[in-house]
Amino acid sequence: MKVDIEKIANLSKLSISDSEKEKFEKQIENMIDMIENLPDISGKPFVDENNRMELRKDEVIESMERQKLLSNAPEVLAGCVAVPKTMES
Amino acid sequence: MMNLYEYTASELHEKLVNKEVSATEIAKSTIDRINATEEKVGSFVTITEELAMQNAKLVDEKIANGEEISKLAGIPIAVKDNICTNGIKTTCSSKMLMNFVPQYSATVYERVLKSGMTVVGKVNMDEFAMGSSCENSAVKVTHNPRNIDYVPGGSSGGSASSVAAGQATLSLGSDTGGSIRQPAAFTGVIGLKPTYGSVSRYGLVAFASSLDQIGPMGRSVTDVANLYTTICGADKLDATTSRREYPDFATLLNADVKGLRIGLPKEFFGEGVDAQIKESVMTAIKELEKKGATLVDVSLPSTDYALSAYYILSSAEASSNLARFDGVKYGFRAENYDGLNDMYEKTRSEGFGDEVKRRIMLGSFVLSSGFYDAHYNKAKLLQQKISAEYTEAFKLCDVLATPTTPTTAFKISDKVSDPMKMYAGDICTVTVNIAGLPALSIPCGNVNGLPVGMQLIGAKFSEQTLLNTAFAYENIMGTVSTVANL
Repeated sequence: MKVDIEKIANLSKLSISDSEKEKFEKQIENMIDMIENLPDISGKPFVDENNRMELRKDEVIESMERQKLLSNAPEVLAGCVAVPKTMES
Repeated sequence: MMNLYEYTASELHEKLVNKEVSATEIAKSTIDRINATEEKVGSFVTITEELAMQNAKLVDEKIANGEEISKLAGIPIAVKDNICTNGIKTTCSSKMLMNFVPQYSATVYERVLKSGMTVVGKVNMDEFAMGSSCENSAVKVTHNPRNIDYVPGGSSGGSASSVAAGQATLSLGSDTGGSIRQPAAFTGVIGLKPTYGSVSRYGLVAFASSLDQIGPMGRSVTDVANLYTTICGADKLDATTSRREYPDFATLLNADVKGLRIGLPKEFFGEGVDAQIKESVMTAIKELEKKGATLVDVSLPSTDYALSAYYILSSAEASSNLARFDGVKYGFRAENYDGLNDMYEKTRSEGFGDEVKRRIMLGSFVLSSGFYDAHYNKAKLLQQKISAEYTEAFKLCDVLATPTTPTTAFKISDKVSDPMKMYAGDICTVTVNIAGLPALSIPCGNVNGLPVGMQLIGAKFSEQTLLNTAFAYENIMGTVSTVANL
């Protein structure tokens, strides 16, 4: 199957250089050929209503210290994680 | 006289309790072994010598005070680098997390520390657990201690190689499509992929959340059983863990296989598997038959579609799970970018290796509009079909025995540039994860000096049966795994 590698890369928030485009295109096409080997089945997957995950109570408990979390951030300003502008002014 | 790093955990525990050796001596023996062999093998991303000596000292103090110690206290362990360890770099062998130091620990790691184990380091893996050779690591390529020109397998390559090389007595790996069992088979150690939901994934960097499980690797069935007991159990921090209670598996090990029905699924003994591997595995199975087990022919027809189902499901989940790596709150952020979107794209393109990119893209593709029904939905239906076929098979037998891999380890560089060739090696392992079942790989022979693994698959939560069968085989053979000569 022919794929639109640029569209897929865009969905994945990846940028593929021109020199790599052909390589990735071929590899992804091979992977898609492999996964197309599927039986003729249709319908909705069965969901067992009697086997629900047990969720914990929605109660406020002590979480993690702010400083600890910020220690992993690439850039911190005024106690916040700094990122490029997200909106046009 | 054996070196301390060559003994099993059970043997070391006996020596500790009898005050023949100290935990500090065990730690030193293992650290020395790491220093002597690491250049050849390359298991480690981070060696934690200071921590190891601290852990050991605490155990020695306990012993000196006449306090009781746990079965794994003072035993050296290596931890796969996708398991968060508070204060210790956790890289997933990726540029994306190369300097990431978690501020919390995975539940399994907390349990390991609580039992007093000696943590010797964080070990190498295929990046974000995607791969079957440990060649997709941004850190280094790990070598198979049985033959250093060969791969140790993946993605838990370092977990397997460290145990095979005597650089750790036990290790923790993770398995999404075979990543504990295949490297265990390639390096000649024992590896267990537990039932989905029996081990907490809190603190395990997620690859495919519905398939991932952390599991133990070691050189004796008893050791693997003890580490499994240490890490398994409900965790309120992981809602996918089962609430059930677990026994102390090692104390219940039973080598009597009279009446045990061993199922042989014909699809695992077909053309795709090397003849010599089939022979080794059948020889092992026949040994169990001699001790009273009966062999039953069974069929798992959907095995043909195993790779498709696995790569669709795991890539879809991976594309979702790895969306969090965006350079914002933690991990790598690109240096040069023009605006927010460009920061995301540059960060991810520079931070991820090729295999990770392929899987993310495949995942995005199968989940995208127009393709969801043809692929992802079908794969979910196929998942239920595969599970149902296993359920049927377990009506006829107590355990399934198969080869773990279709080939023995391959030479470094042989397959890494051909993804399809690499994926083909997963055919014996992936359906186990799809069905959420437990499976164990135990060494059962060699072909041209490279180990062969026999895989035992069980129904959900039947780990005792798997461990017992493995224990029976180990008893017949005397020992199935020793430290490699390096």
